[in-house]
Amino acid sequence: MSDKLKEVISKQQKQQESSDAIITEDIVQLVGFIIGDEEYAVPILSIQEIIKPIGWTRVPQTPDYVLGVFNLRGSVIPLIDLRAKFGLPHKKINDETRFIVMKSGDEVAGFVIDRLTMALRLHKKDIEPAPETIDGDKTVIDGVGKRDENIITILKVDKLLKRDF
Amino acid sequence: MDEFDEILQDFLVESFELVEKLDEDLVELESRPDDLDLLNGIFRVAHTIKGASSFLNFDVLTHLTHHMEDVLNKARHGELSITPDVMDVILESIDLMKALLDKIRDTGKDDGIDVEFVVKKLDAISSGEDLSNVEEESSQNASQESQEAQNNAEEETSSDEIESSSESQSDSAEDEIDYENMSPEEIEAEIERLLKQRQEEDRKKREAKKKKQQSKDDKKEEKQEEAKKQPPAPQPVQKQQTQAPKKESPKKQTANAPAKKSAPTVEQTIRVDVKRLDHLMNLIGELVLAKNRLIKIYTDVEERYEGEPFLDELTQVVSIVSIVTTDLQIAVMKTRMLPVGKVFNKFPRMIRDLSRELNKKIELQIEGEETELDKSIVEEIGDPLVHIIRNSCDHGIESPEERIAKGKPETGTIKLKAFNEGNHIVIQIDDDGKGMDPDALKQKALEKGIISEKEADNMSEKEAYTLIFRPGFSTAAQVTNVSGRGVGMDVVKTNIEKLNGIIEIDSEFGKGTSIKLKIPLTLAIIQALLVGVQEENYAIPLASVLETVRISTDEIYTVEGKSVMRLRDEVLSLVHIGDIFEVERIIDQGEHAYVVVLGLGASKLGIIVDNLIGQEEIVIKSLGEYLKGIKGIAGATIRGDGAVTLIVDVVALMDIAKEVRSNIVSSQSQEGKSVSNEKNSPSDYRVMIVDDSKTDRTIMRKALEPLGITLVEASDGQEALNTLKNSDEMFDAMLIDIEMPRMDGYTLASEIKKYNRYKHLPLIAVTSRTSKSDRMRGVESGMVEYITKPYSADYLSSVVQRNIKFKPEFLS
Repeated sequence: MSDKLKEVISKQQKQQESSDAIITEDIVQLVGFIIGDEEYAVPILSIQEIIKPIGWTRVPQTPDYVLGVFNLRGSVIPLIDLRAKFGLPHKKINDETRFIVMKSGDEVAGFVIDRLTMALRLHKKDIEPAPETIDGDKTVIDGVGKRDENIITILKVDKLLKRDF
Repeated sequence: MDEFDEILQDFLVESFELVEKLDEDLVELESRPDDLDLLNGIFRVAHTIKGASSFLNFDVLTHLTHHMEDVLNKARHGELSITPDVMDVILESIDLMKALLDKIRDTGKDDGIDVEFVVKKLDAISSGEDLSNVEEESSQNASQESQEAQNNAEEETSSDEIESSSESQSDSAEDEIDYENMSPEEIEAEIERLLKQRQEEDRKKREAKKKKQQSKDDKKEEKQEEAKKQPPAPQPVQKQQTQAPKKESPKKQTANAPAKKSAPTVEQTIRVDVKRLDHLMNLIGELVLAKNRLIKIYTDVEERYEGEPFLDELTQVVSIVSIVTTDLQIAVMKTRMLPVGKVFNKFPRMIRDLSRELNKKIELQIEGEETELDKSIVEEIGDPLVHIIRNSCDHGIESPEERIAKGKPETGTIKLKAFNEGNHIVIQIDDDGKGMDPDALKQKALEKGIISEKEADNMSEKEAYTLIFRPGFSTAAQVTNVSGRGVGMDVVKTNIEKLNGIIEIDSEFGKGTSIKLKIPLTLAIIQALLVGVQEENYAIPLASVLETVRISTDEIYTVEGKSVMRLRDEVLSLVHIGDIFEVERIIDQGEHAYVVVLGLGASKLGIIVDNLIGQEEIVIKSLGEYLKGIKGIAGATIRGDGAVTLIVDVVALMDIAKEVRSNIVSSQSQEGKSVSNEKNSPSDYRVMIVDDSKTDRTIMRKALEPLGITLVEASDGQEALNTLKNSDEMFDAMLIDIEMPRMDGYTLASEIKKYNRYKHLPLIAVTSRTSKSDRMRGVESGMVEYITKPYSADYLSSVVQRNIKFKPEFLS
């Protein structure tokens, strides 16, 4: 390989690295979804996978928002109904319902959402911290993202995955 | 440094093994003080540890073992007789040795433990002094001396410890304190011995390097090599030291014998990290699940394609896969098995110490120590056994005088027996002591407020014996430091139950007591009984299931709000699994129920379930951090059809059952509570039309539409049932065709009647079958009306109106 070629490649690499750095610094990639009438989002990196609804097994002595456990390719994973968790009335599973499997560290759980919207990129400057009226320690809200037409609530995945009963 | 670590690891593993063996041998030696083979063996162990520790610069350990070696050497040559007092000191020094080894394992150093006191005693023995003198003397000097020794040791270890080169060998040899006292011959012998030893260590080191590729060294092989190399080392020592040449010949024989014997039976063993075995076990678990799934699919396929030639081939493959999987599982389980003797080993020593302490004569008989158990279980049963044996020694076996007075042999016997029984291992502990008096036990429990008077009256003898496992119960009038703080037996129960084990206890007053521990062979994959309640399934570990019985609901009696039943000559308390796990009673359970009799330790409980599904091999999976610790649930498993089934935690279930008030009876009267909803408009009435023919459905729809009621259609029984199940709102009537694919009208009707919610739902048959027997069947399955095709629209409309109690004001 000629020296020139090497130079070109290394230059490209550098460029790529620096552009990567820009993305990770300033832009947050999120996945948006609807629960009830509101749009929420979680960081894309905390999502293990998104699946269509499958059967689950009820687990006794749990709050009503814990639907039970389901089998994700041989692993037994808890299933949490975000509608119930957010105090919304029960809704039947339909074609748009999805299970979002989120992880944080070793914790993994599936969350039932009404429907997916889209993957989105938000600039950090467009994300504001959760309103002060919300108790900082207990809230599952990480911040509020501003978009052209609407706002989107960004959720804290580690809080969602934390057992609170 | 790495090399040093590796050698250190090997040293520790080897030393622990040797020390364990030592304990056993020494106790045996006490009963046969003249056994030269044993003595030689013991001497070699002390010697090996001493050699290795001096090489690794563990000076305190070297110092201690050196003096032990002296004493043992004297005994070996008949210059010293092994009296119980001498034995005490030797055992004490072995305890110290263990403590030092523990310390080395944890911190890498052997300082901080005072050995001087014991060394003094050892010296006294080897020089033939009276022990009692030393004890006085040394207790005065101990503090001072130990301080010095410790300082010395600390200095030495801190400076030399890290160096692993053989240079330090000479240093440490010089450091050995006792060299001045040695005769010239002895020194010469010592030098020669050290030389051999160093050669051997070097060789070992080289070997260790060679084997680096295999993560751990081959344990047994090494041992054998040592056994082969060992004899030449002590032999020259002996030649010079022994004055009586007679003893040389037996010594030679014994030294050579094991080497010769072991040569043909070279065991090919590898040391494997437990983590790897765990991983392997997990993989097998997955395979077992896949196998269960395959079998399930196979049964479905078999049903559907009965008689097709390809089925034969499939049958063969499925059975081979299932056999191989089972074999594989057993094989992997076996790799994790350890002989239970590993736990039993420590008991001879314990019994010896206890009998001296308690001034009783006790003999321990061990049987079946080669019985194998999963490693994790072997680790767990140690403590419970210690408690049980201590208890037998302290409370069971009487003092010699008492025994003679009773006409029993002076020496009490404790039998420790292990054997396999199906998928379980049974460990039985029998003593021929005074046995237990059920009345005294009850009295005691009453005094302590553990049971009520009423409970005591109703208690059988066997139940009374189990009182000793209750927390806060202790039968010894005075508390000794051996047992009797009243926690011990409680611990036994908890630990055994944690392993899904069962305790059985039997006793004959004046004759002795027998305790039986029944423990499953392995923990990860278990046999389970699958039961159904409503639409849910649960798995109950088969180990805890004593039997299952089918009863009719009127065999259940209610006593003080709790359900009980009579099972042969016993009264069994019952609890409905649905009450424990908050299962909604949607389906009526009918007149019969199944009772699964659970036995745990010595207590029993009957669990009422709706049906028994069968026995299956299941793999225990954890519910994860989020759902950890849910009461009554031990974990989950994945079934053949991919569904998750929860595993019942029998221990917790027993606890919960005490609090759950049964509502078996009351549940039946709550039916149909919200059926009569207020109807405000015609569309509040909901009627379902079930017919496989589109035309027929349309005809019915046309006939009923004028009423303005809500109509829902289903094309067969199955679909209708699903719609019913998943619907939030009630239906007011159903029009059902009899002949339909998948599920016919009769089946549908009887299925619907199983749901409490729909018990009073009017079912109207609409059919072209007109025979009387058809009508009869319709009535049997719960149909209220029978309309034969063809019918007029008005007639249908009026029948429906009558059945849904259509309000006349909505007409028009």
